[in-house]
Formats: sequence, structure tokens, C-alpha cells
Amino acid sequence: MDLAIETNNLKKYFGDIHAVDGIDLQIPRGSLFGVLGPHGAGKTTTLRMLSTILHPTSGEAAVLGFDIKKDAREIKKRIGVCPQELVLYPRLSARENIHLIAQMHGMAKKDYKERTDELLGKMNLLDRASSLVKGYSGGMKRRINVLMAVIHEPELLFFDEPTAGLDPQSRRVVWDFIRDFQEKESTIILTTHSMEEADDLSDELIIIDHGKIISQGTPDELKGKLGEGDILEFKIKEMEQRDEIIELAKTLDFVRWGKPVGKHRIVLNALDGLRRVSEIMDVVKVKMEDISVRKNTLEDVFIDLTGRRLRD
Amino acid sequence: MEQKLNPKVTQQLWYLTVKNFKSMIREVSQLIWIFGYPLLFMLLFRFAYGAEVYVFMAPGVTILGPVVLISQLAGHFADEKESGTLQRLITTPVSRQSILLSGLFSQLIVAVIQIVLMLLLSFLFGASYHPNANIFLVFLIPFLVAFSSLGFGLLLASFVKSAGSAGGLAWFIILPLQFLGGLLVSPDVLLLEFLPTALALRAMTAVMIDGSVAFDPVGLNLILITIWGIGLILLGILLFRRKTAIL
Ligand SMILES: Nc1ncnc2c1ncn2[C@@H]1O[C@H](COP(=O)(O)OP(=O)(O)OP(=O)(O)O)[C@@H](O)[C@H]1O
Ligand SMILES: [Mg+2]
Repeated sequence: MDLAIETNNLKKYFGDIHAVDGIDLQIPRGSLFGVLGPHGAGKTTTLRMLSTILHPTSGEAAVLGFDIKKDAREIKKRIGVCPQELVLYPRLSARENIHLIAQMHGMAKKDYKERTDELLGKMNLLDRASSLVKGYSGGMKRRINVLMAVIHEPELLFFDEPTAGLDPQSRRVVWDFIRDFQEKESTIILTTHSMEEADDLSDELIIIDHGKIISQGTPDELKGKLGEGDILEFKIKEMEQRDEIIELAKTLDFVRWGKPVGKHRIVLNALDGLRRVSEIMDVVKVKMEDISVRKNTLEDVFIDLTGRRLRD
Repeated sequence: MEQKLNPKVTQQLWYLTVKNFKSMIREVSQLIWIFGYPLLFMLLFRFAYGAEVYVFMAPGVTILGPVVLISQLAGHFADEKESGTLQRLITTPVSRQSILLSGLFSQLIVAVIQIVLMLLLSFLFGASYHPNANIFLVFLIPFLVAFSSLGFGLLLASFVKSAGSAGGLAWFIILPLQFLGGLLVSPDVLLLEFLPTALALRAMTAVMIDGSVAFDPVGLNLILITIWGIGLILLGILLFRRKTAIL
């Protein structure tokens, strides 16, 4: 298989902090690969190593067939990076910011000018394209942040939480935009701690926590691992008895598993959970508040694996 | 594997310099600094000391202006580090030399503007120029001071983390260079005579007031200042590269 990225036991330690703790990846060319994980999981650190701006503590990685330590420059010619933070020159216009990246890649003036305006148009930014970025709203800046990563039509794109802090509407715009790119056969690596984003966009994804991959597969495969059941989530007052309550619920044959989540909540995986809530109520004998039933999500996969929520 | 074009270093350098320069002149506080500072400096000396003393101080004032570029350059790089734009730039195939040199070039452009402005003002305020004063040297001397100041600025840039601390710490270099270089005291200590500002002051006084082009103190001092400049910049590049290399 033709791989865009291959890593072998990749590690990055910052003193005592094991930010990335032995990651093995094989990412095929042309795929949209999601990296899902909570705050501090090591997503950004992984991306920074793969985009050759951070030296790994140990391990190897090849990006587009080039070694990240020896052939950094060859890699840089072929990748686009959209950093998690908004990194723009405030006293340049949107156009000038985007042009600068194209210029660093040695694109011809005519090409990058046309393409910049085309991209700005797609992101609904054309009318403000000549004004200085410092006067832009957060959402507009975030869109420019994305455009600066793609202007030179890279073979491989790193998006580090491209939609963080965006309103739902702008988020759609960015998502559509990313999908467009995938159709052009670029490989895309996308980090996020939004499970909808990971679910909607990625062909395949890894879930990482504390610098380690804890699960890998397509969104459906990962959700499938949780079984057929629905996810039933509720709140209880009797926190001390939480483990007992879970054990009680599990005595029901249609309850597959149960986990405590957060401070007051319990998550159960139950076949046909919606119709059988009352049966669960009978067994657990405590008041269940704030009950919700949903289909498996990637969030539940994470809860199942760690007992925590992505956003905790 | 598809062969990728090698982006031209000269082009990258040009575009980065333009970028830096635009960023500078679009900020009001920077503009005030760049253009207001020389004006203020001139006015203060002209009116604090009166016309007669000013005649003798003018050469000093003209060369000591560009020393503040230390804070400009250090601030520029600290800002790029702090805001993450440096990290973003190095994800592109830009050479670190281009980034460094573009920072220096854009400051040198500012230096040229400042120096021309200061010379014009000093003339208007009644500084005496010897009829044989070599105009080229009158410009070159402060320019070389600017050049060596950029070396100090680069050194500073490799230590500081934020633009704020760059601006503050720069004065620990700027003031000693200005004062020990002969702004207020005439240097009796031998060692101080080798400060770039002291060397420049003697050369400038000789050129402006005496109309001299003698090797000592003009030519020799120019060579020494240039050595200062090149040495500092090379050292600065070394340190700066180490600090901003992949961290
Ligand atoms: N330069 C650094 N120096 C020291 N520690 C660092 C550095 N960069 C990251 N870390 C630490 O490494 C760990 C992983 O950080 P990283 O930024 O990769 O997480 P992340 O998954 O991107 O989190 P988030 O979702 O909040 O962006 C964190 O504990 C962080 O504090
Ligand atoms: Mg991150």
C-alpha cells in the first residue's frame, strides 16, 4: 500500500511529560485520517513532529516517503499546516497573508493570485480580503488560518482542530471545504476533540489518550465495537453508590456494559434502551435524572475505553 | 516521486522583507518610533544645549540615533516567536537564513530613512558641516552604526521570549552604548574607545566638522565598526539559529 505517513514507536517527552508515548501509524495516501483525543492527549505534538518542526525524542517517521529528520525540506515543500492557534500576520491583509505562504513555496504570481481569490470566495471572505487581518472577527481569522494551509495545493495537509471555537455555520463551511480537498486526492490529517467532526469527516481514525493510541479503525468499526445497543445516560444523586448501581443495572440481560462518567453520571449500553428505561429504573431503585438515550457515538467509544469524556 | 521546484531563496528573501516592512509601517506606534524618535532626539539636544554647543554635539546625536534599532530588531523576532508566525513560516520550505536576513534588511531600510531624516534635521537646526565634508561618509558612518546595532539586536533576540522583554532589555545595551560611546562623557578609558559608538563618534566628528577623510580616525574606524557589525551579526545568527532551530 502507498503510505502518506508511517511512524514507528514515535515518542516525544518534555521532561517528565510523555506527550507522545510510542505511536505507530500507517496512513494510506488519499485518506482523511482523524486523530481524536482529549486536551493534552498529544495530538498537536504528534502533528508538529510529522510536519518536521519538532524533533522526536525517539522513534522514526516517514512522511510522503521522506524521513522527518533527514529530509525535512522535501517534506516541507509538499505539506500544508493549519495550526491549532490562529497564526496570522495581523498587519497584513487576508490576501497578503495567504500570498506570503504561496510565495514561500515559490508559486508563480499569476497562479497564486487567482487561486487566493478563488479560495477567499469559497470562504465568503472576498469583500474584506484587502483589509488588515487584525480587524477580523475570530471566525474570519480561523478561515484565513485554514486557507494559508491550502493555497499551494499540498499533497498532505495537517489540520489541527480547524473548527475549534467556530459557530455551527462557519464550521459547516470549513467541513465542506475540507471534504472538497479530499476529492482532490490529497491526504488529510485532522485532529479534533469533537466527536461529530471525527465521525463525519474521517475515513479512519485513531483515538489517543496520554500520548498512546487506544483505539483505531473506521468510525463505524469503532462504534461497532460497543455492540448493537443504545447509549443510555443519566444522573444520580447517590454518588457513593454509583458502582453498586452499575452492577445492579448490569444484572439485566439487555445491559451490555456500564461506566461512571464525570461526577454524577452513569452511561449504560443497553439493547433497545429507549423502550426499556422503566425496567432499568425498577432495578436500580434510585431516581434517574436527566435521562438521555442515543445511538453510539465516538464519545461513547472514548468513555468505554477510559471512563472519561473527551471534554472532561 | 514528483520532483518539486526549489523555491528561490532570493525571492523568499524579498517577499519576507516586504512583509516585515509593511507590518512595521502599518503600525502607528512603530511609525512614531521610526520617525518621531530621531526628531525628538534632535530637538532635545538642540534646545537643551543651545545653538553653540549643538554644533559640537550634532555628530554625536546623528550617530547615536540608529542605536535604538537594537530594540526594533529584537522586538521583531521576539514578536514572530511569540505569535507563532515563525513556527508557521518554518513549516514552509523557507530557509532560516532568509527569515533572519529579511529581518535585518527591513531594519536597514528603516535605518536609511532615520539617518536621512536625522541628517536633514541636524542641518536645519544649524549643525556645522565643513565645506569639504564628505556627504557619502556622513551617511555611511551612522549606517554602519545601525548595522552593528542590528548585531546586538540579533544577540538579544536569541535570548528574549517576548517583544515586551526585548523592548525593555534593549535599553540595557542602548544606553551604555550611547553614553559610554561619548554622548555625554568623553571616553578616557581606552577600552571604551573601541565601542562602535565611540569609534563612530570620532570618525563622524572628523568628517563633519573638520572635513577630514584621513585613515585615522575615519577609514580605520570605519573598518573597526564594520568588523564589530559583522562579528556581532555572525554571532547573533549562530545563537539565534540554535534557539529557533527545531525546538
Ligand atoms: N513545548 C512544550 N513543553 C512542555 N510541555 C509540552 C510542550 N508542548 C506540549 N507539551 C505537553 O505535552 C502534552 C501534550 O500536548 P499537546 O499540545 O500535544 O496536546 P493536544 O492533544 O494537542 O491537546 P489540545 O486538545 O488541548 O490541543 C501536554 O501535557 C502539554 O502540556
Ligand atoms: Mg492541540
